[in-house]
Amino acid sequence: MEERKDHLWKVAQEVEERIDELDKAGAPMGLDVGTSKVVAARRRTKGVETAGQLNAFIPVPYSRFTENTLSQNEIAYYRDGDQLVIYGTSAERFANMFNADVRRPMADGLINAREKSAMPVLEAILQTMVPRAKTQGEILTFSVPAAAHGQDSQLTYHEATLRRFFESMGYRAVAINEGLAVVFAELENNNFTGIGISCGGGMCNGTLAYLSIPSIMFSIAKGGDFIDASAGGVLNEAATRVKVLKEEGLDLSRPPKDKFEKAMHIYYEDLVETLVEALHRAINTAEKLPRADRPLPIVLSGGTAKPKGFKDMFTRALSSRSLPFEVESVRMASDPLTATARGALIAAQYEK
Amino acid sequence: MRAAGSTRARTSPARESAPGKGSEFVQALEAVSNGIRNPVAKLRFIRLSLARYQRRSRWIETVPWESVRRRMYHWLGLEELRYLLSANSLGAAVGIDSRTRLSMFMTRLARTGVGLAALSGLLLVAAGAYQLWRSAPAPATAAAAAPAKIETAAAEASPSAGVAPTGIWLVEQGAEFEQYSNGLRIDTSFTTTHEPRRFRTLTEDGLLEAGTFDKPVGILFHTSESDVWPLEPSYNENLRDSSRRLLRYVQRKKLYHYLVDRFGRAYRLVDEASKANHAGHSVWSNGGHVYMNLNHAFLGVSFETRWEGGKALPITQAQFATGRNLSDFLRQRYEIRPEMCVTHGLTSVNPKKRQIGFHMDWARGFPFEAYGLPDQYQKAAPSVTLFGFGYDEDFLKVLDQPWPGVQEAERRLEGEALASGRSVDEIRMERQLLFDRWLAVQAQGEAVAGAEQWSAPKLSGG
Repeated sequence: MEERKDHLWKVAQEVEERIDELDKAGAPMGLDVGTSKVVAARRRTKGVETAGQLNAFIPVPYSRFTENTLSQNEIAYYRDGDQLVIYGTSAERFANMFNADVRRPMADGLINAREKSAMPVLEAILQTMVPRAKTQGEILTFSVPAAAHGQDSQLTYHEATLRRFFESMGYRAVAINEGLAVVFAELENNNFTGIGISCGGGMCNGTLAYLSIPSIMFSIAKGGDFIDASAGGVLNEAATRVKVLKEEGLDLSRPPKDKFEKAMHIYYEDLVETLVEALHRAINTAEKLPRADRPLPIVLSGGTAKPKGFKDMFTRALSSRSLPFEVESVRMASDPLTATARGALIAAQYEK
Repeated sequence: MRAAGSTRARTSPARESAPGKGSEFVQALEAVSNGIRNPVAKLRFIRLSLARYQRRSRWIETVPWESVRRRMYHWLGLEELRYLLSANSLGAAVGIDSRTRLSMFMTRLARTGVGLAALSGLLLVAAGAYQLWRSAPAPATAAAAAPAKIETAAAEASPSAGVAPTGIWLVEQGAEFEQYSNGLRIDTSFTTTHEPRRFRTLTEDGLLEAGTFDKPVGILFHTSESDVWPLEPSYNENLRDSSRRLLRYVQRKKLYHYLVDRFGRAYRLVDEASKANHAGHSVWSNGGHVYMNLNHAFLGVSFETRWEGGKALPITQAQFATGRNLSDFLRQRYEIRPEMCVTHGLTSVNPKKRQIGFHMDWARGFPFEAYGLPDQYQKAAPSVTLFGFGYDEDFLKVLDQPWPGVQEAERRLEGEALASGRSVDEIRMERQLLFDRWLAVQAQGEAVAGAEQWSAPKLSGG
């Protein structure tokens, strides 16, 4: 039998070869806790390693047969009374199978107050990504959205709940604004000056930072879920199904071909207009703006910003509004899905 | 210049847009910050500079000349950066561009110059005061005693590299050390044993060669991938504790035969007659012999440092010297050919993905020449020529481009493809399949040899 000889100081690439002892070094961790996805980032020898898990679940009635099937197929679940709660990435597969919608432990970027299983499910999902800290006080930075109008208290609750959970796992948990994390991940060459925007499942968040200091933060309670639900409503399709079709390769840069694409265009335009208007309003109503003696870059990230043509749509909407500074460029993040987690990791390394 | 894809949102007059007092500070800060190639270090630098700005600007702003203020801010920025580098709270080398490095060097030079000038001035003043106080001419003998002769003698003495011993032999041995004639001192207090060394080799056609070997034929250099603390007195405790923990860990896992710590101390951790778990999946070849999975055939020598950002963090002068002495000693003791001294990164492979560079320690930057060894980075990589292994984006993210030996090996594959009228991919696929087969041949050969060895006493005893 082959002996596993590669020792623990060196990083293994394969998931099954990720050796627990590596975590003993107490590597800081960055976590993007998004409405639709949780993404973790850690530094390894070969660079930053990221992994994602869907932030969703679907309950199915309990039966011994179903439970056996789930455990044989290594599907993440737990039993809750007469239900089996399937969570994480597998939940979407099941939802598609049954043409049902997944449920989310988070809504609009915050813990879903209307969902009684929110915290148990979220904890289960987070535990698949975040191992217990090997040494007390390892740094973990997690993303939080900017408070939407009148949501300050919910944001406080959301942040405190997550912090307490991570602390119970042995970490020193630090929250970072989502837009600022994007700035950290993508605007290093601009000395962390510019606007970072993260378009996620539940909401879009933006931050104008000047030399790494956040100056203006804004958010809108619209994201990918809004598009999926709205388009699903007019197309008479489950939102989960719409999401799958959307992720199969939506192209916003060409005229819509069918009813589905038409609906997508309409709701994407609505989202982009709302986002740009929120950016415009936040900047123009700010009491104090940093000195803008040079054009500022804008970086777009997040799964909702991924479709081809999103950047152009955003640029068009932006060009019809006046801002107190010149925009250097609108660009996509190098990896839109992991930008927030990577930025959170930089913050965690900074905190270490 | 405007970046490609720039957009022009309509611009309304900016508030606070007029350059104020802070603009000189910001320009200086950004000038320094632009030279930092590590996001965490850059963030630390910017935040530290901003935190100290209020206090420092108070007295800098009193300077009436703008150019002087600008220079002062720039100089202070470089000092902040120097502080961050010396404190090195990142525990790693921070990438700084050459321009910023030069600026840092120049400011240090200028500071030293100013310091020396001030010191000289003080000495002159003190000497003058002393002369006045003596109020008498210096005695003639004092002038005659000027050390002109000594200065000449000192100038004539040419620096010597010292005398090398004619060979390397054991000078003295204690319960926990061995002292060798080339200055190498090996601490043996952590030495443990492992499975006895026994290996077989293959020909370049994949045939099992005759004989089972129990003496090492090569040296594999590693990095320990452990914490690297700044080499400063204030970090002594961290340096010491980190090394101790590493030693205990390496001993427990039987990872390397030797470890050279940051102070240049050489430790024998696994007895040389045993294998160590240092090489994992790895390939090397020389002189028509092919070596696979090198734990048995090669001695593992690790330097306490870390591979990061596409290179090993610099080893210390003491590590460098000890590593050389240790390499000389092992080469002499086991008659190891220089071509068989190589780094782990150049041999490590990922058999599942059929890729090179599974581990990358010393995949760049090992001082082969200074160790009297051939530059192995130039040698065509056997994992590519023999087994057609490739590399992926992650590999390129770390190294930008493969080392020259991989490029040379790829050129050879292309040549073979041209000559045989097949595609490089076909040749690669064919060779990749060989890896598992050859490994199986080697393992089978070793198993048989093991069984023979096991039964040998019975036969001779009968």
